[in-house]
Amino acid sequence: MTELILQALYSGLLQGGSYALIALGLALVFGTMRVINLAHGELVLLAAYIAYSVESGLGLNPAWAIPIALVVVSATSAGVYWIVSRIRKDREINSLILTFGIGVILTNLILLIWKADVRSTSSSWLQEAFVVGPLYSMRSELIFFVVSLLLMGGLWWWLSRSWYGRALRAVSSNRDAAKLMGIAPGRTELVSFIVAGMLAGFAGVALYSYGVIQPAYGGALTVKAFIITVLAGIGSIPGVLLGAVLLGVAEALTVTLASSALQELAGMTLFLLVLFVMPNGLMGAARRRG
Amino acid sequence: MKNITIAALTAMALAGGAQAEEFTVGAELPLTGTLARVGSGMQEGVLVAAEVFNKTNGKHKIKIVTIDDESAPAKAVAAVEKLASQGAVAITGGYGSNNILPASDAANKLGLVYITSGGVDDSLVNSGRKNFFRINNTAGYEKAVQGLLADMGAKSVSIVFSTKEATSDLANSVQKALTAKGIKATTHSFDPAITDFKPIINKIKLQDKSEAILMVGYENDYVGILRAARVLKPPVKAMIGVWSLATPKMAAEFPDLMPNVYGTALLPFPAVFDTADGKVFADTYKALYKKEPDYLGQFGYVQSMLLFEAIARAADKGTLKKGGVAEEMRKTDRETLIGRVQFGANGDNPNFVHRMGQHQGKNIVIVWPRETATGKMVYPGLPW
Repeated sequence: MTELILQALYSGLLQGGSYALIALGLALVFGTMRVINLAHGELVLLAAYIAYSVESGLGLNPAWAIPIALVVVSATSAGVYWIVSRIRKDREINSLILTFGIGVILTNLILLIWKADVRSTSSSWLQEAFVVGPLYSMRSELIFFVVSLLLMGGLWWWLSRSWYGRALRAVSSNRDAAKLMGIAPGRTELVSFIVAGMLAGFAGVALYSYGVIQPAYGGALTVKAFIITVLAGIGSIPGVLLGAVLLGVAEALTVTLASSALQELAGMTLFLLVLFVMPNGLMGAARRRG
Repeated sequence: MKNITIAALTAMALAGGAQAEEFTVGAELPLTGTLARVGSGMQEGVLVAAEVFNKTNGKHKIKIVTIDDESAPAKAVAAVEKLASQGAVAITGGYGSNNILPASDAANKLGLVYITSGGVDDSLVNSGRKNFFRINNTAGYEKAVQGLLADMGAKSVSIVFSTKEATSDLANSVQKALTAKGIKATTHSFDPAITDFKPIINKIKLQDKSEAILMVGYENDYVGILRAARVLKPPVKAMIGVWSLATPKMAAEFPDLMPNVYGTALLPFPAVFDTADGKVFADTYKALYKKEPDYLGQFGYVQSMLLFEAIARAADKGTLKKGGVAEEMRKTDRETLIGRVQFGANGDNPNFVHRMGQHQGKNIVIVWPRETATGKMVYPGLPW
């Protein structure tokens, strides 16, 4: 039993890292602009399909797709921002409908370009087992878990130390006051979308390297990312990691100790429980107390 | 002058009579959404059937009008209603029991025959609808899986299955049947949304210690389960799946995961079509799509061809608008690419028995039943 639980905790931790990477872009945009980008999952999926094209078309390791994915997905994300920025009234609500529509368009574009087949990496190296004592994982899972931690650290540093990061937080706190301080809200928000697109680019390549992709998968990714964003507490990067790992571990333990059919239910129960006890999310409350 | 006019009118009438009568058949299929892959595969078979029928039947022509049901039950109902309004005399297609049930209900209310091979849920044939027909069913898959396990002599099996209705039904039926035969069958259901199967495979490795793992899910589930198994290497002797697994596409896309894996398969790969019907199907399919036909294409072809033949017979008898298509469907009894097809009072095909194939190298070898086997099974045999 110990071996089973250890493996569940390890699998949950890695799965949490994967969830965090997927949620990071959504959390950034939501935290800074209060815009829930419902096309975020499709942006992640777009990067995953670029990785597929690079692997199947050029015969390269999916990691080589990262530069292309970063450019294409951040450009697409900038396009999403451009459309969202046209909204003049009730941006929070109207952006929901708008980004949902963009998500549908992106799903169908992916379907047109890459067809409906199930895709995943065929790289043996990425799929090989990485064994530490009684703990097993795929190499790709571990690699992208580390990448996920590095990106989160980088994002946290960027938001708290760089001028643009501070500008973003200022716009998020008080748009008018930020303007008076010489910050152009439009430009900082555009940067936020571009960075979110880059994060989605990494997440997509990672997803392709250890998971399975299909054109209709984007919606599920957005939902998972949204749950983690709310669980984390708005705008909290450490909260995203904590929330994602909690979710991953809760799901893996549910599979091990109860039934795998209850995995999604366990995730949602955790979500509701945390929000009931800590309405501002895991790190949102801590930050407020601080 | 009068004679010339009469001759001209006679000639026109004869020409009109010689012109084939065209019937519109609706194809309601998931071309987008989660079932887009299988829906597109089936659509290929439907269009091949229309092409073959139109070439070989000089008297009648079939025109296919396809509407995408977006893998959603409500859209499937709307698709059927729209097809009916566009003059469809019957409906072919549908995938996923949850979509097929409401769509075929709508067709039944409109008095249209609905035929499918995309839903194995028994509730589809147990609701007393007179216009519903299907060519495959859970029982046919169950017999194939049980037959393979019996040939292997496996004493214990872990069944990993998706909680979707069709997969749950099949998994539970197989478990009951295996338990009745004294084989230890442990089930592990999983939510269709899950992506990491390592915790399940670890339970099989450390607790079940079964001889075989039976996967009842879809392509994405198989890839996840096989990947997890490849990492954890449970001490099993065989990895078995059902639909969408023993296909050339899976062999080509996932060469490291497929070796020695079993799945249901109508034909070996490279495909060998030894009947005239099979050769016509394969040639037309290759001409239209520039690739080897797959099982979805075959199912789509068979269901549609049987429907077109019934429409033609009903038209000949003048009963097309008087429930004649359903009547003719019930009289169907012929050998097809999936074996003999007849329809019982409930619209189900009692003769359906699937075959089991195994990925061996780049080929798919039929290993069960023995009478149609094209090679010997590799047992024990695993992808790792």
